[in-house]
Amino acid sequence: MLPGFSPEDRRVWLLIGAITLITLLFLPYSQFVLGVRYDYTLRTVAIGGSLLGIISGVLGCFAVLRQQSLMGDALSHAALPGVAIAFLLAGRELGFLLIGAGVASWLGVQFIRLLTDTTRIKQDTAMGIVLASWFAAGIALLAYIQARPDASQAGLDTFIFGQAAAIVEKDVRLIAGIGLATMFLLVLFWKEFKLITFDAEFAGANGFRVNLFSTLLSTLIVVAIVLGLQLAGVIMMVGMLIAPGIAARQWTNKLTQMVTLAAIFGGFSGGVGAIISALDTDLPTGPMIIVVAFLLVVISISIAPQRGLIWQLLRQRQDQKRFAAQMVLDDLFHYAYDHDSLSTVVPESFLKGMRGSAVKQGLQQLVNKDQVQPVNGGWQLTEAGRQAAADNATNTLMWDLYRQYNQTLDLPLIAEDRQRDIRELLPETAIHKLEKILQEELA
Amino acid sequence: MFEIEGLFIKFLLNFFSNLEINTFLRSPQNTATIIGGLIAISGALLGTFLLLRGMSLTSDAISHTVLLGIVVAFMVLTQLLGQEPDLSSPWLIIGAAAAGVATVVLTEAIYRSGLVKQDAALGLAFPLMFAIAVILVSRFVQDVHMDEDAVMIGEIGVAWADTNSHCLENCEAVTITPDSPEAEFSRQCTNCRELGIGPRDEGAVFSEQCSNCGEYSPAQAWQAGLLETEPLLIFWPKSITVMTLITLLTLAFVLVFFKELKLSTFDPALAAALGFRPGVLHYALMVTISLVAVGAFEAVGSILVIAFFIIPPAAAYILTDNLSRMLVISSLIGAAGAYFGYDLARGSVLGLFQVDAVLRGLNRAFDLKLAETWNSSISASMVLMMFLFFFAAWVLSPKYGLLSTWLRRQNQEKNFDIQVILAHIFNHEGTDKEREELAVGTLYHHFRWPASTTRRMIDQLLSNDLIYIKDGIVRLTSDGKERVEVFRETQLARETVIQ
Amino acid sequence: MKSKPETSENGETPDALVIDDLTVAYNGKPAIWDVDLRIPEGVLTAIVGPNGAGKSTLIKAALQLIPRAAGTVRFFGLPYEKARSFVGYVPQRGSVDWDFPTSVIDVVTMGLYGQLGWIRRPGGKEHEIAMYALEQVGLEDFANRQISQLSGGQQQRTFLARALVQDAQIYFMDEPFAAVDAVTERAIIAIMRELRDRGKTVLVVHHDLQTIEEYFDWVTLLNVEVVASGPVETTFTSEKLRQTYGGRVSYLYEDKVKKTAEAG
Repeated sequence: MLPGFSPEDRRVWLLIGAITLITLLFLPYSQFVLGVRYDYTLRTVAIGGSLLGIISGVLGCFAVLRQQSLMGDALSHAALPGVAIAFLLAGRELGFLLIGAGVASWLGVQFIRLLTDTTRIKQDTAMGIVLASWFAAGIALLAYIQARPDASQAGLDTFIFGQAAAIVEKDVRLIAGIGLATMFLLVLFWKEFKLITFDAEFAGANGFRVNLFSTLLSTLIVVAIVLGLQLAGVIMMVGMLIAPGIAARQWTNKLTQMVTLAAIFGGFSGGVGAIISALDTDLPTGPMIIVVAFLLVVISISIAPQRGLIWQLLRQRQDQKRFAAQMVLDDLFHYAYDHDSLSTVVPESFLKGMRGSAVKQGLQQLVNKDQVQPVNGGWQLTEAGRQAAADNATNTLMWDLYRQYNQTLDLPLIAEDRQRDIRELLPETAIHKLEKILQEELA
Repeated sequence: MFEIEGLFIKFLLNFFSNLEINTFLRSPQNTATIIGGLIAISGALLGTFLLLRGMSLTSDAISHTVLLGIVVAFMVLTQLLGQEPDLSSPWLIIGAAAAGVATVVLTEAIYRSGLVKQDAALGLAFPLMFAIAVILVSRFVQDVHMDEDAVMIGEIGVAWADTNSHCLENCEAVTITPDSPEAEFSRQCTNCRELGIGPRDEGAVFSEQCSNCGEYSPAQAWQAGLLETEPLLIFWPKSITVMTLITLLTLAFVLVFFKELKLSTFDPALAAALGFRPGVLHYALMVTISLVAVGAFEAVGSILVIAFFIIPPAAAYILTDNLSRMLVISSLIGAAGAYFGYDLARGSVLGLFQVDAVLRGLNRAFDLKLAETWNSSISASMVLMMFLFFFAAWVLSPKYGLLSTWLRRQNQEKNFDIQVILAHIFNHEGTDKEREELAVGTLYHHFRWPASTTRRMIDQLLSNDLIYIKDGIVRLTSDGKERVEVFRETQLARETVIQ
Repeated sequence: MKSKPETSENGETPDALVIDDLTVAYNGKPAIWDVDLRIPEGVLTAIVGPNGAGKSTLIKAALQLIPRAAGTVRFFGLPYEKARSFVGYVPQRGSVDWDFPTSVIDVVTMGLYGQLGWIRRPGGKEHEIAMYALEQVGLEDFANRQISQLSGGQQQRTFLARALVQDAQIYFMDEPFAAVDAVTERAIIAIMRELRDRGKTVLVVHHDLQTIEEYFDWVTLLNVEVVASGPVETTFTSEKLRQTYGGRVSYLYEDKVKKTAEAG
């Protein structure tokens, strides 16, 4: 057992280790068993793909947490005219193309902000306007470029759907360089980024320069988008940006672990997507990466502990079972109490309306405990049932009184959990005080 | 579809001759403008309600998923049912529209589950649907109308060429059988392919085969020279029919249910309380939007179409405060965008100047070596034109435009400054300190402006007869007093808001 | 002219609103629990209770805007489907987008859509009715103004005018006094009283305990369950209030007294 780690931490680190191991094992497996030849080109593509996946996965976490996923979509579409103009001015030089893309995206953001500030147009519409018109400008420019007599534009339209095969060693070096720089900034300002992501207002009140760091973080996200364009393409880039983060979010509540997991998920989908599409040139890379990343999301959403759908369903059923009897008993008691006699026969339809399918289970358990009995079409409390229900009702009343008087009577603070017996949770002296008030209330 | 086209043609023939119709439709520009205009009008009408419901990006979701619907429906029809579907086939349209609506329902369900935030759910759903569709297109579909380029920008420029021929007079369909006098025969090897041998090899069996047998429509028959009199033909672009029907449907939906759409958009709770079923209207809206997205796919692709839903309504929203007018204005802006967009693709900006000239100028100024003929995507240019109109509305709108807002604020500030001076005079007139506070020469001491500005404002007040100067002291005229009192009443005695 | 049923089978006038065993649950947690409520015709009723007591939920469930888990609601002895034409509803002001491109008169006319039914458009007669309602709330000069250019109080009065044109027999108002100016508060209460004097029944979700005795003649104390309901004089007692609000109400008042003392 590792000291200082909660079970949850252990689980996440175990998962991280497992995925790394699988990836490491997959390489020799694909090479020797599947016969994939990792020649120079494929190696370049695979390394480039996973590097981009890691960068966008890490920064995508912040886009997801700051609820800027759609902004990411608008930004990546908006990059296209920048790529085209940079190409017209400087030719097919990756560095220049990326700068062009970044500038166009940045102009898009400013336009969205200006529009929402000066008109009553809301943010979603503003994003739609920029997404569509910037993209149209890009398409119009590409069409113009492609009509040129010299065919030097080859490979430019890979920016639309992404094409991993277009990545060469020089590109990988550039990506690695920029990636390292962004990671360095991220580590340097980790505390600030974390704070403005979770609670910008609090950060501002504590003297952090929220605007500055917010802009810096947005800029880093734009950098990640721009870098990834060549691999995933403008239309699907947002998927590569946010899918790893969404998948990682399901496994953990800690930012460090989420970012680490997202890096691994991103690297995995980027690498695998790039390799698959490089082996078959008909397949654009962007869609492959998205499909791989989406599979990771589906797996995470279904089986991640605590949050996963499967666990939620299981827990719901357990809760239902545990509380069904108590809830139904409570319902029966209240209904009967409101209708003046505890021997009132309660129609089953009322119980079903309140609790749905749990009613059957609850009634079964109560019958087993001999607390209710069926009486012509409805249900009636037995003597034992009335006693148990009255005890429950008293418990609820005591909880009410606790809430009302815990300050005046100076009672110890406990978390309200009305399903439990308050007598077990409070010290005896406190219970005595509450019981005294209860007597007064009833009298 | 064919019969409906016949009805359209019959209707048009009341006004034009067949020759005029054919010439008109054979121009790529006319057909493209008509189709673009129809998409723009139906998009603008529906987009207006989307914008007001805060759901503009739903059109984004629908257009992406509709693409997947089209591709899947296309594959099902070709591979399973062995048909050769056209993008104007009703089954394909209905199937794809259903896919669009289903996905809207699905995304709504995803973010209701609470695991993923709404923006993330949409941000994940768009590219995923699109990714699957692109993979299917690039791997499994071989068709001229369905490749990655068509998905991106559509084929509005060649829509004029894909026609149905309608015959009006001298319609003689011809069937040639081997017995017909026109039948032509050629000798062909019947078992060569089967046995893998050449026609000269031993064992090759030959038979006489009719090379031109079959059924000829009047148009084909005339082209093959089988007819003596030319049939009266009209060539009708298929895309126009589909988009016209969808536009008519949209128009009918918005006109008939205008009141209900307005109420359920503005106040869904009241609509429900009055018995108008806002949920049903919501899904009717989604169905119509999906239909438009499918109908527009062939012409403008699946991404640019969202501009037709979002940009014209946004422009109209800046221009008017009246819903009916907003619908009309956004349709007009959309249609104008389609009309001038075609010109832009061919290099003319609103007929004012040529893009080529700009390129030439850039080349000369910066030595860029750009190609000097601008010839670009029609659908993208239509969007750019709409954006230009939007931009113009944003800057120039009389009520909410940047310019008028700026002017109004300037004016307000100036007005306010004048009021400050008037109030100062009002407060000190006739008091002991009158000479100290209101002397012409030192008046500027009491304000935050430099002496020259104060002097200029005093001059203006004098010429407006709001003040006069007596014994070197500034005083209010009766008009000036009235102005101060009106200001106090209207501006200072505001309702106080109780929080 | 539409009419409500004047008498029931036994010849007595049925209560304006009768709620039996009404329960609404969100995710298995009751928001209102087994509510039994009778409101006689022609009274001005306040529904009060702490935050999260289910006040708005009660109204919305009665008008079938949210699903009920159990229970029945009758308006003058009729279920909601048949009573729709004489039930008026004023939602919370924040529930709509005030940037919507429409005018004040248009919003008021919306109150008549229910009588028009599907497809039929409002005409001159409807315009007249709406104008008359605007005069009643003192907004006749604002008829053609865009709704975003109204103050909060004017927006609330627009909603009130919209409810007036519905010419209902029973009105439900969700927090009409929330964040409005004094002029509007007076205008609203004047109109409520006038409605009451014309024999209409008005239910108002309210949170200001201090104005209850002045404004209303009937009160329903709600905290998930109905604590008490009846004429203000007999129902609005400190004993019943403490049952509704727990210890908090006394703290509330002590706090206020302390503040007033400090200020004085």
